Amino acid sequence: MNEIPSSVLVVDDEIQIRRFLRTGFELDGFTVQEAETGGEALRAATLKPSDLVILDLGLPDMDGADVLERLRAWSSVPLIVLSVRANEAEKVRLLELGADDYVVKPFGMAELLARAHSAMRRQLRAARGEPVVRFGPLAVDFAARAVFISDQRVTLTPKEYRLLQILAQHSGNVVTHQHLLREVWGNEHIDDTHYLRIFVRKLRRKIEADPTQPRILLTELGVGYRLASDPPSPASAAPAAAVTPIGPLAGHEAS
Amino acid sequence: MRRELRGIAIALLLIAVTTAVAMLLRHYLGILRGSVLYLVPVMLAGYYLGVIPALVTAVAGVLLSGYLYFAQLYSFRVASPQEALNLVLYMVVAVVVSHLANAARRQTTIARKREEEMSELYAFSRRLAAAANAAEIFVAIQNHLANLVQRKVVLLGAADAGSTDGVPERLRAEVARIERGEGLGRTVDDGHGNTWLIRRVSPKTPDFGSVAVDLGTAAGEALADMRQRIDDALADAAATLERLDVARALNEAKMRSETELLREALIGSVSHELRTPLSSILGAATILHNAPALARDARLHELTGVVRDEAERLNNDIQNLLDATTISSQQVRPKLQWVEPVDIVNAAIEHRRRRLAGHPLTLELDSNLPIVRADPAQVEQALVQILDNAAKYSAEGAPIRVAARPQGPSVVLSVEDRGAGLSQEEKCQVGGRFFRGARHAATTSGSGLGLWIAHAFISANGGKVDVESDGIGRGATVSIYLPASPDAAAPEGVTQEAVAQKVALREVMPRDVLPQRVMPQDIMPFAATPHIMPAESHIPVESRLPSESLADE
Repeated sequence: MNEIPSSVLVVDDEIQIRRFLRTGFELDGFTVQEAETGGEALRAATLKPSDLVILDLGLPDMDGADVLERLRAWSSVPLIVLSVRANEAEKVRLLELGADDYVVKPFGMAELLARAHSAMRRQLRAARGEPVVRFGPLAVDFAARAVFISDQRVTLTPKEYRLLQILAQHSGNVVTHQHLLREVWGNEHIDDTHYLRIFVRKLRRKIEADPTQPRILLTELGVGYRLASDPPSPASAAPAAAVTPIGPLAGHEAS
Repeated sequence: MRRELRGIAIALLLIAVTTAVAMLLRHYLGILRGSVLYLVPVMLAGYYLGVIPALVTAVAGVLLSGYLYFAQLYSFRVASPQEALNLVLYMVVAVVVSHLANAARRQTTIARKREEEMSELYAFSRRLAAAANAAEIFVAIQNHLANLVQRKVVLLGAADAGSTDGVPERLRAEVARIERGEGLGRTVDDGHGNTWLIRRVSPKTPDFGSVAVDLGTAAGEALADMRQRIDDALADAAATLERLDVARALNEAKMRSETELLREALIGSVSHELRTPLSSILGAATILHNAPALARDARLHELTGVVRDEAERLNNDIQNLLDATTISSQQVRPKLQWVEPVDIVNAAIEHRRRRLAGHPLTLELDSNLPIVRADPAQVEQALVQILDNAAKYSAEGAPIRVAARPQGPSVVLSVEDRGAGLSQEEKCQVGGRFFRGARHAATTSGSGLGLWIAHAFISANGGKVDVESDGIGRGATVSIYLPASPDAAAPEGVTQEAVAQKVALREVMPRDVLPQRVMPQDIMPFAATPHIMPAESHIPVESRLPSESLADE
């Protein structure tokens, strides 16, 4: 799907995981570089910078969080963390350390690819300075500070716009509660998650067809919010990337 | 020797005071026969000062009363045999009284000391009984010894329970030597002029560890004396420890903490060792399932789907086992935060999307529910268990209805199915660990952990789970009740601190309602209990938002 093949650095000490990640990414058009340890990863990232890093947290030589911190000291490469620990506090910590997103093991390849493409798009947009970003029916025009749903302009209050703008800038990657609270309300309200809950509810009423079944502004339970990624291209389409259907579910799962 | 001289001096002083009183009485009141007065100092001396001062008092008393009261005043001559007899009788009475007084005194002292020792021993044994681990037992032993010898005492555990904190650097080597069992004890200078005695608490049982006692700056004879006292106290303490079977208590405590460690290690390793290969299997299966080459053959495509779904199921089963372990070891610690209830429902459904695929799903989610304060991951996991059950116990194609609505002071998340339903009896047992309806044992796989996990997680979050069924074959409705939080936003006039305090209190609350170690025998008939929720009125959150902080500029 990319004209120039993107490159990805896969950092994991388990050979089987590297093997399936290699296949998955190669099928999606990436060229793959592997690293087994944190040290190797840092070397590889310096010598042959890639367009994307997939970083496992349980490395034999150093903590994945350390690798992330050291890498972030000089590189803004899109980075997705693989974690076996379904621990919300840790996810938040890694995101605050500069990870673009995380995937909890075990995961489906489609889920990882969706996260990866979002992270790379974010990078690309930041570089190009795109004035308008689209997420399905939602369009955010940064220049005009305007928001459209299916090309209909939606009136938002300044705080609502700010919230949506931050999410849009993260281009489908998760944004933590703390980050949103800090950016919209300021440092002193960093723990007032209830502000956020109520604001998101208001915002959903304005942009979602059914606020109880959000399709655009999605919740990452216990971590933060994200805007839905663009519908995946047919090549990487998989059930894991689709959103929950409302009402009667389609009889058997289709792919 | 010095003590006795002091006693005699005080005795003579007592006699002098008595004589002065006797002379005053005679002079002002004309009392001529006051020799009995001299029994008073004898008694006092006997009680407080001991036998010899009492005897001295008696002799001095005889002489003085003879001088003051008999025949020829102010002379030491005895005039008649009657007077001589009186004096002898006085002497005898004085000796006997002083002896009795002294004996009484000694017995009181002994009784008081014994009482103190008994209460100290009782307190010690109580502390031992209450001690949950080896470290607490060591603290109890240390305090007991410190009380006995009245010096600073540092107990050094034989194993790893004690620490050498509080022992000067220079003593460590000696301590290590004693702990290795080389010698039973010795005194060491700590370099600051203080002498420390280091020795094993019990020569017989090394488990009691060794002890370092600060002897202060004492030297020579005083040091030997103090050392003797401490050795005696330690011998007593060791005997007490033997009697109270502390050795066994220590071993048990050690074993308990080892079991705990083993459990944690097991959780960690299961989670890692099982999930890592599972990650490869699931990841590979998702790639195969989407591979165009395989999609052309419907049979192969279906098989890859089976691998993927079963790997997912295995992962869920592992999660359940881990959850169950966490719950049994009472380590469910909710991390409370403000949550949109609808988000929890959507996340749970998303998690079980494939599992629910065979059932038409109806959602009735109130868009204006109060936000709740809960651990979102735990509530979601509970709801996932309930959804799993609904899918598992209803026929393919049978509808499932999921609702989120306010009810009184609660937010209710409910899952209604038209499946196997529950008999009255099953309804009462359904919250128990490993409970599975006998009817399903042969036909449906499962661990019987699901509702038990749901129940434990929701209780930890201050809510409850409720099961309703009209009977066998008539479906069931399982509901999660979560307390709605009326103080979701700071009402005007309430400071942030006040809100923070309230929140802090709330954070403490759910720990108190943690389920105790839930055992099969504690099968909770929670279906039968009425819904008791904190009587807090529910006010729609948005009507009470602080205007200045939430309103747009």
